[in-house]
Amino acid sequence: MNGTLYKREMKGSVKLLLIFGAVITLYVTIITTMYEPEMMATLDSFYEVMPEMMAAVGMKAGATSLIGFMISYLYGFILLVFPMVFCILRGNGLIGRYVDRGSMAALVAAPVRRSTIACTQMSVLVSGIVLLAGYTTALEYAVAESSFPGELPLDQLLTVNTGLLCLHLFLGGICFLASCLFSDAKYSVGFGAGIPALMYVLQMLANSGGKAENAKYFTAFTLFDANGLAAGETAALGGAFALLAGAVVLYAVGITVFCRKDLHI
Amino acid sequence: MRVIDIEKLTRDYGSGKGIFDVSFQVNEGEVFGFLGPNGAGKTTTIRHLMGFIKAKSGRCTIRGMDCWQERCKIQEHLGYIPGEISFFDDMTGTEYLKFLAGYRRLKTANRMAEMMDRFELDPKSKIKKMSKGTKQKLGIVAAFMHDPEILILDEPTTGLDPLMQSRFVELLAEEKSKGKTILLSSHIFEEVERTCSRVGIIRQGKIVTLDSVEALRKRHVRAYQVTLESEALARSFAADFGGSCQGRTVTVAARQSLEDIFMHYYGGGDHDERDPV
Ligand SMILES: Nc1ncnc2c1ncn2[C@@H]1O[C@H](COP(=O)(O)OP(=O)(O)OP(=O)(O)O)[C@@H](O)[C@H]1O
Ligand SMILES: [Mg+2]
Repeated sequence: MNGTLYKREMKGSVKLLLIFGAVITLYVTIITTMYEPEMMATLDSFYEVMPEMMAAVGMKAGATSLIGFMISYLYGFILLVFPMVFCILRGNGLIGRYVDRGSMAALVAAPVRRSTIACTQMSVLVSGIVLLAGYTTALEYAVAESSFPGELPLDQLLTVNTGLLCLHLFLGGICFLASCLFSDAKYSVGFGAGIPALMYVLQMLANSGGKAENAKYFTAFTLFDANGLAAGETAALGGAFALLAGAVVLYAVGITVFCRKDLHI
Repeated sequence: MRVIDIEKLTRDYGSGKGIFDVSFQVNEGEVFGFLGPNGAGKTTTIRHLMGFIKAKSGRCTIRGMDCWQERCKIQEHLGYIPGEISFFDDMTGTEYLKFLAGYRRLKTANRMAEMMDRFELDPKSKIKKMSKGTKQKLGIVAAFMHDPEILILDEPTTGLDPLMQSRFVELLAEEKSKGKTILLSSHIFEEVERTCSRVGIIRQGKIVTLDSVEALRKRHVRAYQVTLESEALARSFAADFGGSCQGRTVTVAARQSLEDIFMHYYGGGDHDERDPV
């Protein structure tokens, strides 16, 4: 780790973190406070009318507990997509963009190992993801406690959000690997943004049921089962662990590739 | 002592592009001029030296250390000006230099202030908004501020005005007198003439000539022998044209300017070292 580089890059993350933090604050506050039996009935009636639409974004009818409600309406789109976009933007900006523009020359033309550079940049990405997940958890708990004291079991929330963190670390790993692998911004952005986005689309397809359900075998989002995690199911915990293990592999491969590749800068 | 040692370095980009069997050495305390037309392979060679790309065949070392494997250690004593400078656009010049000092973990007060004075650099504005010359000056300060013993400079004066170019030449002369080893890639003959003791010329990826500036000059001296009617006439002819006189025969030598000599290698001309095209 190079402290100076880490500080500079974290400064570069601040703006994005604030933006995504604000968006998440908005949605989490609004949606969580919407938890009301009557409101639930309204949303359930939406589901009656257009079940495919609602299922596609991960919303299911009949969530009765607060955590079930939150999983239905927050963990299908908002808490999946916004941190994912953060991973895409930051993942590309940390390595790929510097190589494409040539400013990586300043970093490698110094007595700093390439592995140190890559590890530092990875830490910046992971820090951002952890900060977002930590903030989301604290916010959810605070909002739930202030509106519905005692309704949200902390241990369930922590399990679900740890799983969510593993998912985003995995998605971040894909972006990071693409960033390390390709020297051309066209490809590092293309793959870094394309693969996670495609996976999300497949997840939506799979959720809408029918034959399309087979799409779930082609997307990492399947491994994140929020309801299962809340219930403490072993399969769901295993999925989260698989995501974490995958993330470790992706980052390790990314760092190795960066150390060995030719830099035409 | 050899500081930079390149042996049979080859990098084939296909369709005749790249570098082929490039070998040369730069000795301690020497300023080596690396010349050649656009696309000849200067930057490619330098990328190998910097450890940016791995040698496909052949090898290059700096102070005996492999440029790819021991690139981190080599960088401790190396200053580099890239051919195409690209900084972090979001920073100001001051922030960038401060960042680099921290990034390189420089402890002692370095030469940053001295270099900024010398090139009249005002680093306070955003790098994105700097003029080309100002960016180049920033690159120079960044390369020299840790007072490196080896300098690899890829067209270091592009974009500088003539006054700054001449200050840069002075700087190189000073560094040379301090015993620094310098590899200078350049398109400016005057700069090379004023600083380099030895030059290598690369064309289409191959080294076409490698010699000291003096030897190059000698090789390109054209001598004419003139026989005059009387010895007295011969003596005065020799005196007027700076020739040497033997009886009625006078030998006069026309020194070609270095520029003409370089151009000869650039264009390919009709010398015998020409590559088959
Ligand atoms: N990454 C690459 N892929 C393919 N070809 C390349 C690559 N980098 C350089 N080349 C080719 O190799 C040749 C040598 O390029 P190089 O940049 O070394 O030239 P140069 O001597 O520095 O030229 P200049 O004086 O214009 O800076 C050129 O023909 C260039 O097109
Ligand atoms: Mg070049």
